[in-house]
Amino acid sequence: MESYLIQTSGLDYAFSRQSQILHQVDLQVPAGSIYGFLGPNGAGKTTTLRLLLGLLSCRQGTIQLFGMDLGRHRLAILARLGSLIEQPSLYQHLTAKENLEIYRLLYGCGTSRIAQVLDLVGLSATGSKRVRQFSLGMKQRLSIAIALLHKPELLILDEPTNGLDPNGMVETRELIRRLNREEGTTILVSSHLLGEVEKMATHVGIIHRGRLLFQGSLQALHDLKAKEGSLEMDTSDNLKALEILKNRFPVRLLQDRLVISLEDGHQAARANRLLVESGLDVFLLHPRQSNLEQLFIDMTSEPS
Amino acid sequence: MNLFVSTRTELLKTRRSSAFWLSVLGAAFLPTVFILMYLLRSAAFVPLLAQQPWENHFLRGWQSLAPFLLPMFVILSCSLVTQIEYKNLGWKQLFTTPQPMARIFLAKLLAIQGMILFCFLLFNMGMILSGLFVNLVNPHYTFFRHAIAWKELLRWDLKTYISVLGIAGFQYWLSLRFRNFIVPIAIGLALLILSLALLQWEHIYKMPYAAPVLTFLSIRNKVPGLIQHHEWNTIGYFLTFTLLAYLDLLFRREKG
Repeated sequence: MESYLIQTSGLDYAFSRQSQILHQVDLQVPAGSIYGFLGPNGAGKTTTLRLLLGLLSCRQGTIQLFGMDLGRHRLAILARLGSLIEQPSLYQHLTAKENLEIYRLLYGCGTSRIAQVLDLVGLSATGSKRVRQFSLGMKQRLSIAIALLHKPELLILDEPTNGLDPNGMVETRELIRRLNREEGTTILVSSHLLGEVEKMATHVGIIHRGRLLFQGSLQALHDLKAKEGSLEMDTSDNLKALEILKNRFPVRLLQDRLVISLEDGHQAARANRLLVESGLDVFLLHPRQSNLEQLFIDMTSEPS
Repeated sequence: MNLFVSTRTELLKTRRSSAFWLSVLGAAFLPTVFILMYLLRSAAFVPLLAQQPWENHFLRGWQSLAPFLLPMFVILSCSLVTQIEYKNLGWKQLFTTPQPMARIFLAKLLAIQGMILFCFLLFNMGMILSGLFVNLVNPHYTFFRHAIAWKELLRWDLKTYISVLGIAGFQYWLSLRFRNFIVPIAIGLALLILSLALLQWEHIYKMPYAAPVLTFLSIRNKVPGLIQHHEWNTIGYFLTFTLLAYLDLLFRREKG
């Protein structure tokens, strides 16, 4: 049986009675994995991560990290994890070393760790430069260095590549993979970019409007994609076409296009014939993009 | 990890910060003004400071500091120290370090008290150095010929420090509660001005913002006893507001 470093059960959260943010989220992050927590902006990713860190309270459901209940063992849990939530939390008037020194004292690490983590994130040469003079990429890397200072078993990173240039994104991704591979660190990383997660994650959770739509290994997501053969159509009257097809095929209207789930190519010809015989002009008929990006869009788009 | 380590990290954060420079410049301001006054208007000040020059000099210092500048310094210090977290989005990182909420709260409170005591120390040093310097430049002054009454000086410092505790407790609470830097300062300034306007009121000893000036008056008028009624009040206010601030932070739904 797979052991989970993070496990939530029936996690609900509402900022007010009118705005329910999370609905029954059952997150399961396997030990040793890179878990890509995916969802569009406002889906509930940051709220979930803040709940995992105890930055938000008044929750419903249970949260367990390292097999311990967060409510009862918060400090023991925090000692074993590192985090970066939203924008970097750095003291801008201090240098990189001074920022690290603050957290080194709080985590009780040896002084040599500062040079090690600075080296790890490529910031050894920043010297007496104040953090306010750093680029966003440097700030993100310093934040990751702070999170790594006490050699945590678990890293929780909220959109760590946000605002980075392509080079910075590649470097951060490489760093995450290296930590997982070499140190065995379990990493929960949120992102709204599937392409980004696809390149580094071993497991994926897709959240949308506070509901976990998919959770499993990256392979399971690929398998799901393979089953989702579909055809995209555009006609002179898509609403009428929907009426004609809906009794014969699984069809839906998505972003002003008809999307039909098909079992084979003959069904495509039959659908086309039906529409033409009903007096509709068919402008477009092609297999839908068969990639994860499309699957992600499908999962997180509301059928009209 | 203990409270000492947490407080040390809080003091590290104030390095080169606005709070640090406020303490240094705030403490240096009055001694500098006195040097200029004593040297430029020596004809007036030499006879005034002939008898008991140190006591006179320090009384002038506290007279200028106690009613407005000192309470304003405390108001600003509380805001600037807590703003280090707000401005740098530091709360969320701080709250995810493995230390109890009480320790985070107390470490920051101690850092603020440290800044206030640091300012007191610098102010005393500045006042002594200003007296010595003036005497060096103008030998007609008599600072060299008189000893400093250290015990008395410490008593004044202790009383004045106690007098700002009520303000410090309330302002710390406000500064934790409001993300906006202006709000606690505006509230503090309004209460300070109100207190100064009501100095003749029979219940003024209940107002924490009036305590520093009341303490100065008790020192100048040589009122017997170490701690006056209004100073007991300010200790009570400090304990009450600090406890309320802690409970407010502890039960906040959203931290950081």
